[in-house]
Amino acid sequence: MTSGSTMPVMSRRRMLHQAGAGFGAIGLAGALNSAGLASVGKSDSGQPQSIPHFPPRAKRVIFLFMNGAPSHVDTFDPKPALAKHEGEQPTGDLYRKNSGSGFMPSPFKFRAHGESGVVMSELFPHLSRCADDLCVMRSMHTYVPNHEPGLLVMNSGNQQPIRPSLGSWMSYGLGSENQSLPSFVVLCPGLPVVGPQLWSNAFLPGEHQGTSVDTNSLEVEDLIANIRHPQLNRLEQRKQLDLLNAFNRLHAERRQNEGALENQIQAMELAFQMQREASVAFDVQREPKHVREMYGETTFGQSCLLARRLAEHGVRCIQVYYVSKNQKQPWDTHKENNKRHRELCADSDRASAALLTDLKQRGLLDDTLVIWGGEFGRTPYAQNDKKSDPGRDHHHTGFSMFLAGGGVKGGLMYGETDEFGMHAVHNRVHVHDLHATVMHLLGIDHERLTYRYSGRDFRLTDVYGKVVHDIIA
Amino acid sequence: MSMNQTPLLWRLLIASSALLVTLSGDCLAEAPTSKKSIEFFESRIRPILVERCYECHSSKSEEIQGGLRLDTRELTQKGGESGPAVVPGGVEKSLLIEAIRYESFEMPPDSKLSERVIADFEKWIKMGAPDPRDTTAGDATETETQPGIDFVKARQFWSFQPPQLSRTAAIGGSEWVSQPIDAFVLTRLNENHLKPNAAADKRTLIRRVTFDLTGLPPTPSEIDSFLNDSSDSAYERVVERLLNSPHYGERWGRMWLDVARYAEDQAHIVGNNSSLFYPNAYLYRDWVIDALNNDMPYDRFVLLQLAADLVEPNDDSQQVALGFLGLGPKYYRRSAPEVMADEWEDRVDTVARGLLGLTVACARCHDHKYDPIPTEDYYGLAGVFAGTEMFNRPIDSDRETDKGGQAKKPADAIHVVREGKPTDLKVFIRGDITRQGEVATRHFPQILSPDQQRLLNNGSGRLDLARAIIDPGNPLTARVIVNRVWAQNFGKPLVGTPSNFGNLGQPPTHPELLDDLAVRFMQSGWSLKWLQREIVLSSTYRQSSSIEQEKQAIDPDNQLLWRMNRRRLDVERWRDAVLAVTGCLSPEIGGPSIDPESISETRRTIYSRISRLDLNPMLALFDFPDPNAHSARRSETTTPLQKLFVLNSPFMVHYAGVFSHKLLNDVGSDAEARLRYAYQLLYGREATDREIDLSLVFLREGQNDSQSKWQQLAQVLLASNEMLFID
Repeated sequence: MTSGSTMPVMSRRRMLHQAGAGFGAIGLAGALNSAGLASVGKSDSGQPQSIPHFPPRAKRVIFLFMNGAPSHVDTFDPKPALAKHEGEQPTGDLYRKNSGSGFMPSPFKFRAHGESGVVMSELFPHLSRCADDLCVMRSMHTYVPNHEPGLLVMNSGNQQPIRPSLGSWMSYGLGSENQSLPSFVVLCPGLPVVGPQLWSNAFLPGEHQGTSVDTNSLEVEDLIANIRHPQLNRLEQRKQLDLLNAFNRLHAERRQNEGALENQIQAMELAFQMQREASVAFDVQREPKHVREMYGETTFGQSCLLARRLAEHGVRCIQVYYVSKNQKQPWDTHKENNKRHRELCADSDRASAALLTDLKQRGLLDDTLVIWGGEFGRTPYAQNDKKSDPGRDHHHTGFSMFLAGGGVKGGLMYGETDEFGMHAVHNRVHVHDLHATVMHLLGIDHERLTYRYSGRDFRLTDVYGKVVHDIIA
Repeated sequence: MSMNQTPLLWRLLIASSALLVTLSGDCLAEAPTSKKSIEFFESRIRPILVERCYECHSSKSEEIQGGLRLDTRELTQKGGESGPAVVPGGVEKSLLIEAIRYESFEMPPDSKLSERVIADFEKWIKMGAPDPRDTTAGDATETETQPGIDFVKARQFWSFQPPQLSRTAAIGGSEWVSQPIDAFVLTRLNENHLKPNAAADKRTLIRRVTFDLTGLPPTPSEIDSFLNDSSDSAYERVVERLLNSPHYGERWGRMWLDVARYAEDQAHIVGNNSSLFYPNAYLYRDWVIDALNNDMPYDRFVLLQLAADLVEPNDDSQQVALGFLGLGPKYYRRSAPEVMADEWEDRVDTVARGLLGLTVACARCHDHKYDPIPTEDYYGLAGVFAGTEMFNRPIDSDRETDKGGQAKKPADAIHVVREGKPTDLKVFIRGDITRQGEVATRHFPQILSPDQQRLLNNGSGRLDLARAIIDPGNPLTARVIVNRVWAQNFGKPLVGTPSNFGNLGQPPTHPELLDDLAVRFMQSGWSLKWLQREIVLSSTYRQSSSIEQEKQAIDPDNQLLWRMNRRRLDVERWRDAVLAVTGCLSPEIGGPSIDPESISETRRTIYSRISRLDLNPMLALFDFPDPNAHSARRSETTTPLQKLFVLNSPFMVHYAGVFSHKLLNDVGSDAEARLRYAYQLLYGREATDREIDLSLVFLREGQNDSQSKWQQLAQVLLASNEMLFID
């Protein structure tokens, strides 16, 4: 089938020609046309898209996602009042009351770090050394305390699995910096809860879908489907491709003026190039031992290292999901909150700090925005468990995340929750605001990046989202 | 600030209100009558108040800022702590104007309103600040006042007019006109000084029509017999053979499954919660294939999918048709009323866009901004689904059931619907389930009920709804399906937005043609095979797809149909073709679903398991639509990842190997003979000398393992553009 574009065939071909010069230079329209589809015409959004809308501070995003939701009062939001009022029932009707529950103080000691004095708990001995690079947002809030909608909101701005993800919008808006690699890559051992909908392109053209990579094995062949031919070497395949090109040219010569055929030829060539590029970009074995050790020899640690390699190779958005092989949401500490936060943070702390340090050393932190957080936070009160130590339940009205690099102010603690960490009360930041801010840092006005679908213009932030200018350096 | 679940659609509509302001235009500028002044308020003032002011200045604000409420006329004029906000007629006395000009207060604080909007407010106050909001409770609890849709006027829009037979059908003396379709096309071409392309050659034609009607390539013997049949009816015979092939339903069933957002599970399965898998969903898919193969009239096809339990309660074999509704998305937290409201939206959307080409779901939170669909019409339809229950119907009487008669295990059930408690919903004001307005009696959209309100109130109203949809007086149903079938055969629809025939949709390129075809389709007993014949026997369809630059300069997008569109195969036809030409394709019709990527599965791609949770990677790679929602049409992407699949996947490498062995086994060792045979199998034509030469050079190069070279060559032929495109 031909596309529904109203664009003349010739202009599509011209666009493709330009696309060959590199996606980064041509942004939205070119990136789409390079896929042979002229989807801009198809979306018939009819609006001038001059992206970036203003000078970008970040070129790419690495989103470290703590699946299951980390506890803010044990990590970045100290609440001494919890000790004073330990065991007291919180008031208000927002949350369910678990029998015997009440405020539960964090056992972890908090301290200010760096010149800026950013506060975090003792669970982050490595990150504490990056304190002056962190912008800790303590006043996050979202819609509901349930994983599925929470994950979807954090990833797509909508509670149902029907909207494009943050990374897909980035890819749609900015195209790729590297024409030999996908612009949006998702690293996860297996699948998180909800799964591929979290990196769905939904109604955006297919090339903006996150390319998900199963990090259970870090061998390149396991990471990228069909990355190399099972038998042929590069030279043999080159000859094969040359023959294919010759046939395709003969075929196209008999079918003059058909741009779609040329697009296929180009895509085949790109795929061939990508085999080599991706083999290098995805291969963490190429890193020296001490670097690999710095990140920690865990799946998450090595995935963070892989994320840095992909960032270096021009991937626009990289998401690293903290999922373990047997647990789709390890941070969901309904029981043994303290013990499990100790274990999880040890891994996450080392890897996240290594990533920041490594990016900084390579001069990449300036234009790489790193985001750390989960779908919401955890209750400042306990969730009792008959058999084991208490946990904390889901909590969405106040929680913490941090940003680093990419044009945000380092050494900043932004926003506040109330004295118990129940509600964000000062400088509240909704997930939509976070999305608006991320887009802003990338040079995109979140209100102007739209896509017409089903007769309406859609955008990542729906009709919400205010850029948090206070945290921008 | 409370970020309650303000319903999505309302938010979107607000977002487009700025556009609305522009669109509603200056027709209101002169000497406003009372009605016009209210319209002015409704279209230009109220949306801004709602969007930009109510958060802090209405009964729903957490804290009313400055004591000012702007959600009733009275309170707006009374003002807040600083004095009257609006003084009718007194622009300079109105604090509101001062504030939005950023002169004293700077309101709204996040960003200044546009000059245009400020001018609207000034004009509104000069007009005397007409304002229909007279409850004391405030807008937030008030039922939306309908600005009032002029339905008589709205029905003038092309798609709400009944389709008409047309007399254009004869263009004197043109031999080119072989079907009524051609006369319409030729008229438009003549008007634009274009001539249709010559007819495609017979090889091209049989390849095209075979792929279109059965989704498979023609076999060499089918090609030969067509080439050797010099009678006038040779082509008609081919078309009849294809329409009678059981593979016809396999090809066309997929079109319907896209419309029906068919899938076999849910998007939010946690862990091993198997209750959200539908292991028998394939029975619905097979019902669709079977119905199309038997040319079930389209009106009955729709009727059974919406209401088989009501029209054929005793026919067990038809109940599975209800999978159209019963296999729909079930969202997380079904016990919550707002989640059920989302599910009703899915049903309304699938039925309205899928069957009627109407974006009714836009009216969930507010009157449709562009089409004559008030909110009460949305709830009038949603009520039908509120009174319909999901039902896990036991496959047979031997299955274990619960108290409600539902099969306990998914494997024992077909997922259908049944009657629930008849329900007239109250309008949810702005889609908010906690703010309910007037009762919306279940009824069919008013725009489609010209004489009187058409109630949908027998039981759930589902059967009434089905009957209203397939009523020959309904101006949309036949047009919509005719357009979908056209799109599949031409690669491009007559109406470019196949699921939106409203004001924001594209108008038809050939309105009389669409109408004429739609009316005759109904007159022909809603027979889809009749429709196929009308299309594929036309000279329009039989044109060559070659692109001449002079014609292209006049009509670059081929809107006028001066040629056939060259089309890329969808993933179903491409994979099926690979299996067919390598001699592997299983002819088995129907049955449980398969993994299309697995080299041990040789059944057609329509039998793929379709997951909302984790769509098969091969399907996802090649533009299969997201089965979480109705798909108006497929997008078409070309990505390097697709080509990695073609270059390196076990699937392709396997079939290249199979094909190279087939060539050897069927032909023997003569290289040239093998090559010529390959071209016949794959592309249905002779290889050219140049192609033979290139191939022989390739085969001679490199190492000695000739079977490996043959396999590489086979892969090249399977990976080629000629394999992927039909002329």
